[in-house]
Amino acid sequence: MNELEVIDAALAGDPVDPEHAELAELVLLLRDERPVPAPEVAARLDGRLRSAPSPRRRPATRWWAFAPAGGLAVAVVVAVVVGSGGGRGRPMSSSSGVAHVARGVPLSRLAPALTPATSASGAFAPNPTFPGRKQVQSSELYLSTRPSHMEDVAYQVLVIVRRYNGYVNNSTVSSGANGYSQFQLTVPSSSLSPALGDLSTLQYAQVVSRTDNTNDVTDQFNGASNELAEAQALRTSLLKQLQNASTQTQIDALQAQLHDANARIGGAQSTLRSLSRQISYSQISLTVQTGHAAPVPVSGGSFTIGKAAHDAGRVLTVAAGVALIALAGLVPVALVVAAVWWIAELVRRRRREQALDMA
Amino acid sequence: MTDRLEPRSEVVSATLVAEAGTWERFEALYRASRDDVYAYVATLLRDRVTAEDVTAQAFERAYRRRRTFDRRRGEERAWLFGIARNAALDELRRRKRLAPLAMDPVEDVDPADVALRRTAVRAALAGLSARDRELVALKFHAGLSNGELGRILGLSESAVGTRLHRVIEKLRKACDE
Repeated sequence: MNELEVIDAALAGDPVDPEHAELAELVLLLRDERPVPAPEVAARLDGRLRSAPSPRRRPATRWWAFAPAGGLAVAVVVAVVVGSGGGRGRPMSSSSGVAHVARGVPLSRLAPALTPATSASGAFAPNPTFPGRKQVQSSELYLSTRPSHMEDVAYQVLVIVRRYNGYVNNSTVSSGANGYSQFQLTVPSSSLSPALGDLSTLQYAQVVSRTDNTNDVTDQFNGASNELAEAQALRTSLLKQLQNASTQTQIDALQAQLHDANARIGGAQSTLRSLSRQISYSQISLTVQTGHAAPVPVSGGSFTIGKAAHDAGRVLTVAAGVALIALAGLVPVALVVAAVWWIAELVRRRRREQALDMA
Repeated sequence: MTDRLEPRSEVVSATLVAEAGTWERFEALYRASRDDVYAYVATLLRDRVTAEDVTAQAFERAYRRRRTFDRRRGEERAWLFGIARNAALDELRRRKRLAPLAMDPVEDVDPADVALRRTAVRAALAGLSARDRELVALKFHAGLSNGELGRILGLSESAVGTRLHRVIEKLRKACDE
């Protein structure tokens, strides 16, 4: 039995070997020196315990119980921020009457020369036309949609073209996962702007890019007009000369010139017809592709679970982003606070030990 | 509350604080440890009046921090005495001095030789350093095991045994003088 075992045995009241009797007696004497609180001291301690805050009187604050409310508050704030256009994406579908704006590929990258302006309502304004000038306008429009909506989008395109008295030159509609549609459309130039506006705000589709082209053909038009007038004047003159011609040689020469004049008149008229047609009717090259996340229809759409789920997902995404940014800012602060706390704790522990040594 | 001197480790349920932390269970820990904590603090401070305050502070701190108790880091008695130790050392820091221990009146009914031995032990105990006196208080007055002592003092169990041996030798020597 070693010394430590003797101590424990003596404290437990167990017998020890006679050779350790002295140590056992010392242990018991030390034990007897144990300060015992007087009854009044014990009563006061008990009283202090009872007067201390207990769960019955003042429950400990359970901060985690506020977590759901806090989370809800954050979600509401984020929803308000996103709903008010705080995000960089398109407005929430629940917002009222705002048309789609381009998302995904920046317009400026796809069409640097002709970046369309955005009107207050979100629709694009085509390039301006100038009174008195003869201009040929055309547009290239790229839309994206979900594969399941490709046929709906194609149908809507046809409805819009018909609405503005236009027609489809040719079209290709391919459905499926990699669906692809292409339309060559012709619409009256006077209806180009509203037609493009409608095509840019199709249900189930969003604008990826749009390019407007304007070609001034005033000089060509005036040149053809002059050519026609000259040719017609020449023809009139030649016809008069032909009436007065007396010899066969004169008649043959005038008829040859008249043939040339008629050809010039025909050419000029053809040019003018072509230019007039190009001026009066604008070409729209419309491509609808899948692959980009298409938005849920916005204004005028009824509330659906799908829209709600989409909005909820977006809110959660933005909230996660905000939380991530906040976390990135808080981590260094937390590290500094932790380091300060650790050092303070170390110093306090050392001072306590020093106090014991000095006692 | 009766004066109990036997080790309390078996008395206190092992799940008093960790599993529930309810007031009732904390109260049970208090009842099982109050006198031990008081004895330890009084021996260390050698001031029974202050020991009463420090004991109360220790239990108040323990209650406030009851959720910090981690069973994997030891029994709740060791955790409680760690808190009591910090409270006592904070008191030492505050005072920067040792107050004389107001001893209970001793009922001198022992035979003469036992009374002499007791006086010698008391004097030897008073001559110990605070660090050694703390060891005596934890071991002989609070009834903690060597393992619990090690956790409170930040020592290994074998180091606690070595220190106990040295303290006993000091006491023996002081008593023989």
